[in-house]
Amino acid sequence: MSKEFSGRVVIGVIGDDIHVVGNRIMQLALEESGFQVFNLRTRNRPEHFCEAALEVNADAVFVSSINGEGAHWCADFRHLLVEVGLGHMLLYVGGSLVVGKRPEEEVVRLFKGFGFDRVYHQRPDIDGAIADLFEDLRNGETRRRITAA
Amino acid sequence: MAKPGAESRLHDIERQRQQVLANPLARGLAPTEVGIFLKQLPRERFPANVYSTRGPAPCIQPRGGFPVFDTQLELTRALDQAGADFIPLTIDSCTRHNQYDTASQLLKRSEEEGRSYLNGYPLVCHGHELTRELYRGLAKPVSLRHGTPDARLLAEIAIASGIAEIEGGGLCYCLPYSEGFPIDRCLLYWQYVDRICALYSTPDAAIHRESFGPLTATLVPPAIAVAIQIIEALLAAEQGVVSFAVSFGQTGSFVQDVATARVLRHLTRHYLDEFGFHSVRSFLVYHQWMGQFPTDRAQAAALIVGSAVISNVIGADKIVVKTVDEALGVPRVEVNSEAVATVRYALRTFACGERVSSPLIEEEAALIESEVRSILSAVVALPGDAFWESVYRAFQLGLLDVPFSPHSDNANRLTSVRDGNASIRIADPGKVPISEADAHTERRLLETRADRSDKTYRQMLADITLMA
Repeated sequence: MSKEFSGRVVIGVIGDDIHVVGNRIMQLALEESGFQVFNLRTRNRPEHFCEAALEVNADAVFVSSINGEGAHWCADFRHLLVEVGLGHMLLYVGGSLVVGKRPEEEVVRLFKGFGFDRVYHQRPDIDGAIADLFEDLRNGETRRRITAA
Repeated sequence: MAKPGAESRLHDIERQRQQVLANPLARGLAPTEVGIFLKQLPRERFPANVYSTRGPAPCIQPRGGFPVFDTQLELTRALDQAGADFIPLTIDSCTRHNQYDTASQLLKRSEEEGRSYLNGYPLVCHGHELTRELYRGLAKPVSLRHGTPDARLLAEIAIASGIAEIEGGGLCYCLPYSEGFPIDRCLLYWQYVDRICALYSTPDAAIHRESFGPLTATLVPPAIAVAIQIIEALLAAEQGVVSFAVSFGQTGSFVQDVATARVLRHLTRHYLDEFGFHSVRSFLVYHQWMGQFPTDRAQAAALIVGSAVISNVIGADKIVVKTVDEALGVPRVEVNSEAVATVRYALRTFACGERVSSPLIEEEAALIESEVRSILSAVVALPGDAFWESVYRAFQLGLLDVPFSPHSDNANRLTSVRDGNASIRIADPGKVPISEADAHTERRLLETRADRSDKTYRQMLADITLMA
């Protein structure tokens, strides 16, 4: 593999969710933007993402949830990453993240509280997330250290 | 080489059958008694008889399943009165995954609390004796709609209930619905279903099988859908099924719908004959738009009417209809009945006696046919003792590849987007063995698209939400 990638991203759908369309398009979108993608596809636990991120030396983890189970599965995510020594990992979540209708700001606050760097709730496109990823890869880790301090 | 042939017929399923029927939920179901029961049913309960006497318009079939018996009975009567030609029985997702305990608990809760905790009728929990009562006096076929990889017990109970149309197949009920159910096992379980359908069939009372052509209903190129339909028709014919419907879902392109119907009908007959299954009767079913539906009811109604007109144009034997509330979830009884009336009106108003053709349709049909022939020759040429083994191998190798399948054994190498006519084009065939010339034609046709971009994913997002 001589190809130069912009970064390595682990992606997958969390919970007992088998909505696969967005996952497949996210894979293509990241690949077409120059990333190497490790797609865990459907029905994953947070541990699966952590293991994969370790194995492939990932730069970022993209978690998606379409059936609303996200809120249940994501609460400990950052904590689990810290446990495997990946506390610095860029962590994004997107999809339809909660069951029922709740204001976007509230959902974003909830998931930021879980330790997610970027939260996309019911957004119609994914270009924003990719632009954010490029930006965060330039200064994400540094910024998190500043925020945490 | 493993050509389809009757020598692959399961001759000794008795032991397996005893095991399946030993489940207490089979409630002592005895095939001999079921055979006698089927003999007493009106001949109009069997799809082949209805298809052969239908008028110029396609038969109409709605969808529908509620957990509680009384509600399902109400739906059945309402759809019958609304003029549906086929009565549906849609099964809940717990039963589809063989989780009968959970289905029983949720059925009990639904009965106690008067609201639905299941998204369909838990047929295995209700059993065949009670379910026969749903259809007492009915002179129309009932169609089992589900999505079950292991449907052995479900199909036994359905037939014993007087349901003479079983939808599904080892591929079409595995790839779109399951993430990890082994494809080879699913193919074997569907051989069992095909075999019992054949065993119960008599010349004027055939248990009919139908395949589910829409698959994931997300940018599936017609060549893939048609190849899988023909494979399932051949697998069923191997087991002795004598009445079979192939189907496909509205593609989103008028030209491609007409071309797909033509190729699907023609090649199904061609391959059945080529492998010696001359006596198998084949029919064509059209599914109204199976992708994301508009939430706006006026737009949904327009889409339903448009699809109905196309079903007339392609001379479908049956159209499976949606409702204006499709985007919202399981439709109410009245909305479902209304959809039947709307489609009936459209079929009558836009009758179409002549075969429609144009150079575009001819070109599209020639391309699809050539692709399907390449794919099927490659599948048949794969090693295996039986045809199903070659089919299984084809998935392992990515020769068959269903876009957006959640299944972990699906290759996901093929990518597809729409061209300027909204026809679904193969942008990258992955390992699917279409010829270099056909791949080139697909790419050339893509150039007709106005909003071309180097980012395939942006086009895909727009393509998937085409009708919404």
